[in-house]
Formats: sequence, C-alpha cells, structure tokens
Amino acid sequence: MEKMKYDVVVVGGRVGGSTASLFASKNGLDVLMVEKNQEIGTPVQCAEATSSSTFKTLEMKPSPKYVCTEIKGADVYSPDGNHGHLEGGYAEGFILERKVFDKQLAIESAKAGTDIMVKTTVKNPIHKNGKISGVVAEHMGHAIEIEADLVIAADGIESQVAKMAGLNTHQTPKSLCSCAQYEMVGVECDPNYLQFYFGEKIAPGGYVWIFPKGDNIANVGVGVRSDTGTAYSFLKKFTANLNATPVELNMGGVPVYGPVDKTYADGLMVVGDAAGQVEPFTGGGIHVTAHCARIAGEVAAEAIEKGNTSRNFLKKYEKLWKKEVGQDLKQSLKYRKIMDRLSDEEMNILAKFLKEQDLESISKMSVLGFVRDYPQFLKLLKEIL
Amino acid sequence: MKISEEQCGYCGACIAVCPQNVLELSGMKIITHSGCENCMLCRVVCPVGAINNGKNEV
Repeated sequence: MEKMKYDVVVVGGRVGGSTASLFASKNGLDVLMVEKNQEIGTPVQCAEATSSSTFKTLEMKPSPKYVCTEIKGADVYSPDGNHGHLEGGYAEGFILERKVFDKQLAIESAKAGTDIMVKTTVKNPIHKNGKISGVVAEHMGHAIEIEADLVIAADGIESQVAKMAGLNTHQTPKSLCSCAQYEMVGVECDPNYLQFYFGEKIAPGGYVWIFPKGDNIANVGVGVRSDTGTAYSFLKKFTANLNATPVELNMGGVPVYGPVDKTYADGLMVVGDAAGQVEPFTGGGIHVTAHCARIAGEVAAEAIEKGNTSRNFLKKYEKLWKKEVGQDLKQSLKYRKIMDRLSDEEMNILAKFLKEQDLESISKMSVLGFVRDYPQFLKLLKEIL
Repeated sequence: MKISEEQCGYCGACIAVCPQNVLELSGMKIITHSGCENCMLCRVVCPVGAINNGKNEV
C-alpha cells in the first residue's frame, strides 16, 4: 500500500475542509486535504446565502468572481400570504456562486501550502494506541495509507470519520431538514432581497426560499421536516406557477437542531455539517462553519507545535467555538423550537403582531395588549422577549 | 428498504439518519451494507423520494 505522512489530514474539501486546512497551513503545518468528488465545489448542496462575517473570518474580499448579488434585506410571507419586509441588519449578506467560491477557497488553501487529493474517499481511520493517527483512503482503485498526527473531519452530514472514531454525529428526521432546490431562469425578483415563504401546505417544518443571483436567475428551494411529502414534491408544487425553468437541481439534508454533543476525540476534530455547526433557525451554515473551521485549523497548529493531539488538548477547539458562536447557535435553536410549535394560524397572528412593532423596541404595553387578545402566546412571548 | 438509483441524488441525507449506520456513499451511489432493520427513517429524509420499503415494487 502506498504510504504518506502529514501533520494533519483534512477529510472533505468544501467550506469547512478548505478553511481548516487554509489556517492550519498558514500556521506552518504540513496539510493534506482529501475530497471524495472529482471536482471541488460540485455538486452544490446549498442555497448559497451568507453574511459578511464569512469574508471577515476567511480574510477574503467578497469578489464579484464568486459573489452573485449583494443582499440588503428580506421579504417574509406568513402562511396567509401576509408580507413583512426586513431591511438591513441580520438580513444583509451575499449570494455566492458556491462552485466558484469553494474552489477559490481550496486554491487559497493550496497557495498556503495545502496538498489536495480529489476523487479520494476515506475508507477507515487508522488507530494507534487508542488514538486516531491518520486514515486509509482510496483513489482510482488504489488504497493509500495516510499517517497524520491529527485528522479534521469536514465530511458533511454523511460523515463517517467522526462515527468511526466513536462520536455521535447521528441526525434524526426531526433534526435534519430535507431540502430540494432548483436554480431557475426567469424568476422575476428584486436582485437584492431574499424571499421566504412559510406554511404547512407549502413547506411543513421548514420554508420555501427564493434567493436571487441576478439577471432573474434564482435559487428556489424547499426545506421540509415531514413525512407528508418529499422536498422535491413540494418544490415541484411551488415552482409550477413560476413560469421559470431550471438549469440545476440540488438536494441535501441540513442539520437544524444544533451542534452534535462532542466535536473532538483523541487525534480528531469535527467541523461543519458533520458537527451540526449550522444556525438552527435559518439553516445557514457557511459563516458558522468557516468560523469553527478556522478555530480548528489554528488549534491544530498549536497542538502539533506542542506535540499534544490528545482529546484533553483538543477540547480547546470546542471551548473556543462554543465561546465565540455557541451562544448565537443556542439562541437560534430556541427560536427554531418555538417555530416548530406554531400552527399556521398562530404564525399568522404572530407575524401580524410583529409587523406592527418596531422590532428594536417592542413596548411592554403592546405585548400586554397582544397577550390579552391571544393568551395562548403568553408562554411563548416570555421565552422570546 | 430499497433505493432507486435513477432517482437518488447521492446527497447523503439517508446516511446521516441511519441508526444502524449501514449506508455508505460511494461515488454517485448509495451502498447498503448488511444490518438494515427497515426503520425507514432514510425514506422520511430523502429529498426526492428515492427510497421505498421494497414491497411496492412493480
């Protein structure tokens, strides 16, 4: 069997993998990143929206090479068709061309010194003295033994590496949002605003999105958590009257119930979708994953320098990402759980109330008035406010 | 449990929820290893309905 030796082997070459390997390489490590697909960036499994914090984390500019549109706000539709408009703030960001963005990120990582292997699948981790010390991978029918002091698993929701190391990264139909998306031509929409549609009939347990990519091209997608129909069937239904035509069909599962319990083991760190590092309320994961993966790359450098890749040392990775994004994820999960309890009718009532309020400064009087009219919301509003 | 290769988009959602961990994504194909207990969680999360219980096949 062919043998290789690196400080770190990163499994997966999308946002999590490229970011972790970029910062590990920048900090002087000898890094190999393996990607199972033959082309980095495809197939796309993403609605492609992200915030400016992603670029800040990555120390990259939002270049027109991979940014399609700049987002200034969002239009949100409750089940009864009522419409709320959000301007700026949380709704601001960018729509990426992930195929180009992911590849660019891999290029940046390669420029920093990362070796990359494509069309390479990890088969098994190598265990030595109870610790992960590399992986056995397969490339074009040949097995390769890659010895490494540290493994970073960025291998997505289908992550096997973390499971093989004994970590619980299992999702459930409740925690995993099943998504299908068309990239469509001929979607008449404002290029600077996202659209969200809620309702049991159009997207049970999730929502429909229209994310504009400019020139009336848009990602139109549906996320559901339900056994009443597939994401694809809801997508077909929603797009039937759009008078637009698809040029791409994407699909995938998004973990929307918060991070997994443990994101490290002896010789291993888990990042991105594999670790559930996604905002539960929106399902947005690019900025969270980039943030956590950068920390993983930096902690990897420290661990190798100190010659200590034990779980005791790598705990630092989890401590750091929890400190920096853990609170946001917790808050977002709280909103997700509240949202999950609402019926369409309750969503309509709540949306109507929130629309009449200045969200920055909801007055106590208005809340009291609302709860008097709709006492069923008392507990819920207590949790939100 | 049966996966339709024609419909499958090899996204891996089924693998993420498999309690027995018997599914594997190999290239553009999902492989089912032995040990499936037909809990059908995979069918619930499959975005395109490529999985059925294997009993309704024509």
